[in-house]
Parts: sequence; structure tokens; C-alpha cells
Amino acid sequence: MITLPSYLFISFVLFICGLVVMIARKNIVAIMLGIELILNAAALNFAAYTKFINQNLDGHIISLFIIVIAAAEAAVGLAIVIRFYQIKESIHIDDATQLQS
Amino acid sequence: MQLNYLANLSHYVPELIVCLTMVMTMIVEATYENGEKSKPLMYWCSIVGLFCAFVVLCLSLNQPPTTAFFNAVVIDPFSTLMKIIMVLGTLGAIWLSHSSNDIYNPVKPEFIMLGLGVLVGGMLLASANNMLTLYLGIETLSILSYALASLRKNDERSSEAGLKYSLYGGISAGLMLFGMSHMFGVLGTIQFNGMAQNIANLTQNEILILIPSFLLFFVGIGYKIACVPFHMWSPDVYEGSPLPVTAFFSIVPKMAGIAVLLRITISFFSNDGVMQYSWLGLLQVIAALTMTVGNISAINQRSIKRMLAFSSIGHAGFMMLGAIVLGVDGVRSVLFYGIGYMFMTLAAFAITSFIQNKYGNDHFERFSGLIYRKPMMAIAMTIIMFSLAGIPPFSGFVAKFHILSAIIKQGYMTLAIIAAINSVISLYYYLKVVRLMVFKEKEDDGEIIGFSFVNQSVIVMLVIPVVVLGLFWAKIMAVADGAKLFIQ
Repeated sequence: MITLPSYLFISFVLFICGLVVMIARKNIVAIMLGIELILNAAALNFAAYTKFINQNLDGHIISLFIIVIAAAEAAVGLAIVIRFYQIKESIHIDDATQLQS
Repeated sequence: MQLNYLANLSHYVPELIVCLTMVMTMIVEATYENGEKSKPLMYWCSIVGLFCAFVVLCLSLNQPPTTAFFNAVVIDPFSTLMKIIMVLGTLGAIWLSHSSNDIYNPVKPEFIMLGLGVLVGGMLLASANNMLTLYLGIETLSILSYALASLRKNDERSSEAGLKYSLYGGISAGLMLFGMSHMFGVLGTIQFNGMAQNIANLTQNEILILIPSFLLFFVGIGYKIACVPFHMWSPDVYEGSPLPVTAFFSIVPKMAGIAVLLRITISFFSNDGVMQYSWLGLLQVIAALTMTVGNISAINQRSIKRMLAFSSIGHAGFMMLGAIVLGVDGVRSVLFYGIGYMFMTLAAFAITSFIQNKYGNDHFERFSGLIYRKPMMAIAMTIIMFSLAGIPPFSGFVAKFHILSAIIKQGYMTLAIIAAINSVISLYYYLKVVRLMVFKEKEDDGEIIGFSFVNQSVIVMLVIPVVVLGLFWAKIMAVADGAKLFIQ
């Protein structure tokens, strides 16, 4: 029997992996992968909590919504990345320095 | 069951009108032939649709609060007033997009469609009553905004703005969801009122999990409001996006974020305890930082658009003060602030937009000697700048005064002093514009085409409420006072 702490541990590891990817990688597509990891960690948490703590369907429904919205976000994000690539011929985050910050 | 669901739609008429308008504009857009430049029917279609939504919202302002869709959304006077502000902001931005050259002609229809979509997200966020609707609202708002920011698709800066916006947005949404999942685990429900009840009695361990979760949760809202540790995207995105989009961004997503922050703070943290103490402490620190950083960064800008972007960060900090008050005083002064802020921002961006159409950039020097060329517009800009800085006879002063008096009543003297100092700092860069317009020689005599009679009268119509709200504020304040939150 897999218990709640194991699920939480796995999702925490996923979350940390996502954070590390976002901070360490300079490739924009890799950063978007990191975002997906974090979203999946959250979805796993919702599903685990709803299975073990409260027996209603709220958490499952939120997980489904997270999956759908993550897909939408990735679609728009990748479209913008392709635009950026066509203009700059690079998907390195350090090349996005046109705007002063 | 299904019939119940349909009956709920009667509470949801404004959103339905906006959605239908969006569909209508898509259909109308398809009827045009390829390469046709001006699409007046589309423009008027969206204007009429939004106006209908505005009228319906105004009519439903006095109705008793209800919840709809099995408690998923709450329709109360507070959310209705916020929706009115957002609808008016969208209306203004669409008018601005029609006359601005900053978005290329062939893609103007996209601005209208995407803008209406963002508006629907904002309306959902303003009336969110559980975590799922909150998340859906934030994502509807964000995903469409990424596309809006990169609307000028052959432009390097615009696509970079969209890229930065989508990366920051994705990260903050992910962090917010992770925090939310632990909140759901500890509090056991996604409904706001259930969560608020469970927050009152927690064990030590649960508090230890909840505090970091709420911190992560705040990242998502803070990113929408653009308050300080999460504001880095905002100046870049505001500068890279086309000007009407910038005007839109500084009103609709910001007001939606403020609305949800007020609702969360008041429904979750009205009872004394560790949680209330830590949340209010966080808000105080962040509000003070937001005001200070926003105003100090605005000083050294060359572009008016970027200056307005930083000043809008400062104003967001001011509005966050209203959430700290935790009561009717705070809510009504934030609403009043929002109404005035919407008119001032729209008018300031409109004038900047026409100057930018003429010269291709919007540096401060382009405004020099405006009073000798277009006295009406120079006076309008002066009134707006005075009002944004908070000088007495205008609405900005009344709004700031009410927020300050509310937080002083609660005993936050330090915050009030910081806010007052920030008002003084902001005076410097706002008055710089006025000084250039009045005391500098004019650069050239060319006619500024954008300032046609119609556009000038629209700008004057945007400035009149700023003056009227400053002189006869009691009536609007009474409306804002009636806009109570309904926690169910």
C-alpha cells in the first residue's frame, strides 16, 4: 500500500527538479519543460490528497483542469518561442536582452 | 439538475454578452475579404457589445448577492463594480487600438478578440469563489495576455515581451498551484468559505505547512498585480507591447488581481491568529516595497510609456494597502481608487499614443511645448498628471486620502508615512511632463494627426470624470460603500 507521504515526497522531488531546471538551464524550451514538471507535481498532489484525505472529487477535477490548461499554456508558449526563434535564430534565454531591464 | 444549471446563467448575463461579442467579432472578421484594411463593423460590434455588458452590470449593481454554478462563482456588488471598471477599461483600450498605429493594421481584429477573452478571464477572477475558478480565471487572463503582448509579430521587442511574459507567467502559475495543492490538502476543501472556516482552528503542524503554501500561493496573485519581488516582467512587457496593449494590461489584469487579493484577504484572514498575522505582515512589507521601488524606478525613465508602467506598479502598491485594512473602509477606497485610476491611465496612454504615432517614439522631449500646439490636450495631460500624483482637487487625491485615512485608523502609522513619502517622490516625475509641456519651446509645428476632433473629445470625456470625482466624490463613494463582499 502506497501511503500519502510517498506521493507527497515524489511530487516534492518533481517540484524541486522543475525549479532546478528553470534556474539552471538557459534553453527556453528546457525552461518550459521545468514549468511542466512543476504543474505535474501540483496535479499529483491534488490527486493524492483527494484520495487519502477527503473522498470527494474536487482534487481529481482540478488535476484534469491542470492537464488541460498546461497543454494550452505550452501551445501558446511554444508559438511565441517559434516566433522568437524566427527573428533571433536562437532559443537561448540570454539573447532576449533587447528590452532594458 | 441540468435545468438548475441553465437557470444559473441568468446571473451570468454580462459574461455571456462579452463571450457572444467575442464570437460575433470572429464571425464578422471572417466576412471581410483578404487584405481589407479597415474593419469598422468589427470595431462597432465590439463597442456595442461591451456597452451592453456595461449597462447590464450597472443595472445589476443593486441586486442582492448570490452564488451561481454550485457556489463556484459569487455575484456580489463588489465583483460587479470591479467588472464595470474592467469593462470600461477594455472599451477604452479598444478605442485606443482603433486609432493607434502601434499595432499593424491587419492584426487589429486580433486585439479585439484576445482583449475580450482577457476580459472574460478577469470577470471570472473578480467573482471567483473557489480555488478552481480562481485558477481558471488567472490562466484565462494570462494565456491570452501572452498572445496580446507579442501581437506585433515581426517585431523583435514585441515577441521578446511575449516570451518574457509567458515564462514568468508559467513559473508563477506553477508555484501558485503547488501552494494551492497543499492548501487543499490541509484545509480539505477548495471552497473559499470552507477553507476560511478551517483556517480558524489549525494545529501547529498544519500551520507549518500552510504558511509556505500561502507564500507560494501569493506568488501567483502577486505576479498578476506586479508587486515587487515579482514585478520584473512588468516594465519589459509594458515597453515591448504595443501601446494599446500596455494600456489594457495596466488596467484589466491589475484590477482583477487586486479584486482577488481583497477577496482572499477578507474571507480567509478576518479572524485573529498566526495566519492573519503572517499574511498581513507579508502584505505590509510587499506593499511598502512595491510603492517605493515602483516610484523610484520611474524617476530615471526616458520613455513615457515605461514611466507610466513603473508608476502603475506604484499605484498597485497603494491599492494593496486597502487590502491590509481588512474591512469596509479598505474595500470602498480601493474601488474608488480603481475607478479613478482607470480613467487617468486611459487618458494618459491615449495622449501618449497620439504623440507616439506622430514621432515614432514617446520620449519625454516629444511633449515639450505641447501647450502652444494643442492647449486642450496639454491641459488634459496636466490634470491627469496632477491627479496621478494626488494633488487636491482631483480624484487621485480623494482616493489616496481615503486609503491613507483607512490605514491610519487601523494604526499602521509607518505604512502611512511611507505612502505619503512615495506620493512626494511620484510628484517629481509626473511634474516633469507638465514642466516640459508648459515651459519648453515647442520642437516643431507639424500637425499631430491623431488629435482629431473626435479623439480630443473622447480624451476630454475621460478627463471630466477625473475632475468630477475629485470634487463630488460622495456619490461614487456611496456606491463603492454599498459594494460589499459576499462570503458564501
